[in-house]
Amino acid sequence: MAGILTLLVIGIPWLGAVLVLLVGDKHPRWQHALAVGFSLLSGIDALLLMRFISSASSVDLWLSTAFGSLTLIPDGLAVSLTAIATVVGSLAVLFSVDYMRGEKQLGRYYFLVLFFIGAMAGLVLSGNLLFTFFFWEITALCSYGLISFHNDDPLAVRGGIKALLITQVGGVGLLAGALMGYSQLGSFQIIELLARANTLPAPTLAFIAFAFLIAAAAKSAQFPFHTWLPDAMEAPTPISALIHAATMVNAGIYLLARCSPAFESVPYWRESVLAVGMISALLTAFMALTATDLKRALAYSTVSQLGYMVYAIGAGGIVASQFHLLSHAVFKALLFLSAGAVIHAVGTRDMRRMGALGNTMPFVRNAFIVGALALTGLPIFNGFWSKEYILEVGLESSPLWMYLLMLLAAGLTAFYTFRMTWLVFFGSVRDSLHVHETGTAMKIALGLLAFGTFTTWLLFGGLSAQLAESLPQHGLHTESTWHLVEALLSAPSTWVALLVVAASLMLFYIVGRRAALTAPPAWFNALSESSFGFELLNRWVVSGMISLAERLRLTQSGELNWNILGILACLLTVLAVLWWSAS
Amino acid sequence: MNVILIGILALFGVGFYGLLITRNLIKIVIVLQILVKGAVLALVFAGKMGGNLGLGQSTAATVIVADTIVAVVGLALAVQVRRRFGTLDVPKISTLKG
Repeated sequence: MAGILTLLVIGIPWLGAVLVLLVGDKHPRWQHALAVGFSLLSGIDALLLMRFISSASSVDLWLSTAFGSLTLIPDGLAVSLTAIATVVGSLAVLFSVDYMRGEKQLGRYYFLVLFFIGAMAGLVLSGNLLFTFFFWEITALCSYGLISFHNDDPLAVRGGIKALLITQVGGVGLLAGALMGYSQLGSFQIIELLARANTLPAPTLAFIAFAFLIAAAAKSAQFPFHTWLPDAMEAPTPISALIHAATMVNAGIYLLARCSPAFESVPYWRESVLAVGMISALLTAFMALTATDLKRALAYSTVSQLGYMVYAIGAGGIVASQFHLLSHAVFKALLFLSAGAVIHAVGTRDMRRMGALGNTMPFVRNAFIVGALALTGLPIFNGFWSKEYILEVGLESSPLWMYLLMLLAAGLTAFYTFRMTWLVFFGSVRDSLHVHETGTAMKIALGLLAFGTFTTWLLFGGLSAQLAESLPQHGLHTESTWHLVEALLSAPSTWVALLVVAASLMLFYIVGRRAALTAPPAWFNALSESSFGFELLNRWVVSGMISLAERLRLTQSGELNWNILGILACLLTVLAVLWWSAS
Repeated sequence: MNVILIGILALFGVGFYGLLITRNLIKIVIVLQILVKGAVLALVFAGKMGGNLGLGQSTAATVIVADTIVAVVGLALAVQVRRRFGTLDVPKISTLKG
């Protein structure tokens, strides 16, 4: 039963993807219906899979000596992420029904979305690193296709290529780590890697650990690869909510959480993870302060919150990072979809032109405020519990100065979140914008996510029990929700954090409201636009790759004789290698 | 034995050399034939060396049939190309731009 469900959770979206393409762009109503139906089915499937969580593989298919066997393991980590991907995925698809109405190439859009949902489920369920890599690359490809969905817009095309190339750096890291593991262990199974990590020579293990850290940083848009995510905001907004906030960018967090027990003994690994998380959280929080594009501001805050999760893993808090991942997926999807409703209604992403939209769009305003309060980390909302839990873990097992900087990042988060909310929904009308109605499908998706933002923290006990039971190698303990509430409310650090948030809000109330509309100092703007200088590094990677590709294009002359020469050269090389290895 | 091996290598050599330097479509079909004849000879030779002559010969017969079809289709295409473009020079009939 578990085997069928795990296969179906990948298979249903993929089947839906093919069907949507087959139906064709002349029947948009059918395409909408099929996409919603299949994504909902996969969501239900993932929720059913919750009942079959175990650390044993549910599918074990022997392929060949080179690939090993394809194993799918429905353990707590994998199933919780699958559920997030499919449930948030189906809500994003539902939202798309209104958002993408009237688009010409719906088939391509829904195909990529559904293909992505299936691949994301495969990525987290796979117990074989090689297949994790395959699914990882499929998600990168879908992300590229969807960022560049409006392929007549040069900005969208450039953003897509940048995202693709920079996440490829991560893909190479993952593949290099997996191959290095294979060369020593003779297996791609993650379980083998975790169980026998101590038997590996220290340099090999360090290589795998840092290769995986690079993979995770590139995929999750962490320092120093944090610049692709803001440029990826050219994608249609449901895509930003699904891929670039709730699911794909979590793949890096997943990889670190999955493999962290194996790497704990590697010198400087935990310190590096802590540093990557902290720098990302802090830098992008600064960058969000000056952003004027609504979606870019949200993208910066996504990187910042992902930084919190990476920091939590570095501090040894796997449960804390997964808990924040769940909360973040829900409230950031809510924020993005609300932003999408606003952008759909007014037709601009520039926050300076918005203002006082709360009067005309009360439903969206309320949804956005719920998300914003969760992002700020105010009590009752899910973001509060998970962020405080991370800070609590950080105080216990990371250097004090890092904890203080993370606290500062929390204060900055509160500041930029309120700046964003105030610029869009409050203040005075600054531009005559024609406001469209919000569709029913949009309202359903927003309402469900807002409900989730209030309630998902109640799932903490279940999540922690699932993780502890099905991940024996991580050495986790079960904690109940009540215990978490008690521990957090009695910890002084929670109140310190709340104090920082309150101080930041006070500061916003006094100076921020006026400062929000005036342009920030030029040096600060320049600094934040160049990602504190790291934009250059990322641009260098992208332009280097593109110019290499241009050079390689010379080899594709299309002339028969040159191709024959290439074939002959390859043949002779193979013969020479065979000759050399035989003698 | 060595004579056959030299024959195979010579046929391969002529075939590949021809493919490298020819631009005429009909000549390409001809050198392709020479190349495949080398392959057929190699199949029979390998069958004999491996002690399973029957397998080598039957595979060779299959290849001969398939190869004849290739030659026929190739020549028919050459005729059509000549009628349509007025030339048999392969680089000249290439219309793909890249």
